[in-house]
Amino acid sequence: MEGIIQFRNVSKHFDALKVLDEVDLTISRGEVVVLIGPSGSGKSTLLRCINGLEAITGGDLVVDGISVLEGKARLRTIRQEAGMVFQQFNLFPQFTALENVAFGPRKVRGASRSEARDQAMALLEKVGLAERANHYPSELSGGQQQRVAIARALAIKPKVMLFDEPTSALDPELKQEVLNVMRQLAEEGMTMVVVTHEMSFARQVGTRLIFMEHGKITVDGNPREVIANPPNERLKDFLRHVE
Amino acid sequence: MEVNWSIIFDFLPQLMAGAKMTIYITVFGLVGGMVLGAIAGLMRSHGGPVLNTIAFIYIEVIRGTPIVVQVMFLYFAMPVLAGLRIDPLTTAILAIIINAGAYIAEIVRGAVLSISKGLTEAGLALGLPAWKVLVYIVGPLAFRRLIPPLGNQFIVSLKDTSLFIVIGVGELTRTGQEIMAANFRAVEIWTAVAVIYLLMTGTLSLMLRIVEKRMRIL
Repeated sequence: MEGIIQFRNVSKHFDALKVLDEVDLTISRGEVVVLIGPSGSGKSTLLRCINGLEAITGGDLVVDGISVLEGKARLRTIRQEAGMVFQQFNLFPQFTALENVAFGPRKVRGASRSEARDQAMALLEKVGLAERANHYPSELSGGQQQRVAIARALAIKPKVMLFDEPTSALDPELKQEVLNVMRQLAEEGMTMVVVTHEMSFARQVGTRLIFMEHGKITVDGNPREVIANPPNERLKDFLRHVE
Repeated sequence: MEVNWSIIFDFLPQLMAGAKMTIYITVFGLVGGMVLGAIAGLMRSHGGPVLNTIAFIYIEVIRGTPIVVQVMFLYFAMPVLAGLRIDPLTTAILAIIINAGAYIAEIVRGAVLSISKGLTEAGLALGLPAWKVLVYIVGPLAFRRLIPPLGNQFIVSLKDTSLFIVIGVGELTRTGQEIMAANFRAVEIWTAVAVIYLLMTGTLSLMLRIVEKRMRIL
């Protein structure tokens, strides 16, 4: 089966700095890929290249049959197929939770007000926040904000979900509620790419673990096996530090 | 000469006509200045290198020269340079537009850039084109941060109209000057002029405070 995300020899430079170094990677539908690596290894950049928030400087990257090099309009189509969740939530502060979730369908998909509203309500229900629908982000806890952000990304009906350190800004007791929503999504068969340091999530939910160093993928395998028997010293060292 | 406050009332109609002219110039000048400032500010924050440079040069030239020199240039140099002769009132309005526009551009740029980059990314990640992110997300947020510094600029521009005395526009300061020249009632007339300015800027401040209160500043 052809992968829904295909990195073909992808490089990314920030001026002289090489952040991604000729990466080849194919992700298939239904996979839950957990990306780990030391800071500066390129894992967030790799994720952000998928929906074009970072432009690649070499090679080609194809998402659901569309290359990120096909131009702005096609890139917007990719972004509608790949929802993103950010470390800092990035909810729109002037909108309520419900308006945040309804915003994408309204302005991107052209849904009617009532249609977008009903769908947003259903998604808030799904992430367990229906009773918070009319609260503003500033009135929600971090964990609640992140769950609203997940609902917002799901509202445009993406085929892939990208998570950029979704729990790193959260207190330990709030991480779990976000991870639970992510686990539920994975169980429903959503294709997910997750940059995280949550090794228990990688073990329990991930179907694939990728370890990056210096802009290259150096380990790629089954999470349980790779975590139990790290095939390289650097990963072993890394795992000691995050767990 | 004894100070006689009651003479102010004799000249009140004249002073009010001057104040009206001041308001007229300020309103048209600031409306134009906001349009020009918004365009130049967005050219700075969102434009490519060419637009950005054009806006940068405009802002630096205007901020780096006194407004009196700009007025003189418009009124006396433009006819020579471009054969363009404009009447004093139009010159006055134009001068406020160009001058306030440069300062407002910096205010707009600052407000837009103060909105976290993450919000723009969140909008883009939903598949919105950049202009929609600006219109629906960043713009409305930036607008709220714009209001306090914009109010400041309104007050500065209103007071700046007083220097159109140099090209003979009959605004409030000029009117005061003319009355003075006829009766030498310096204390009474300049006090009256100052109070009228205070009433105008005070009203502006009050209006801005109300707008600020009505909007949740985020």
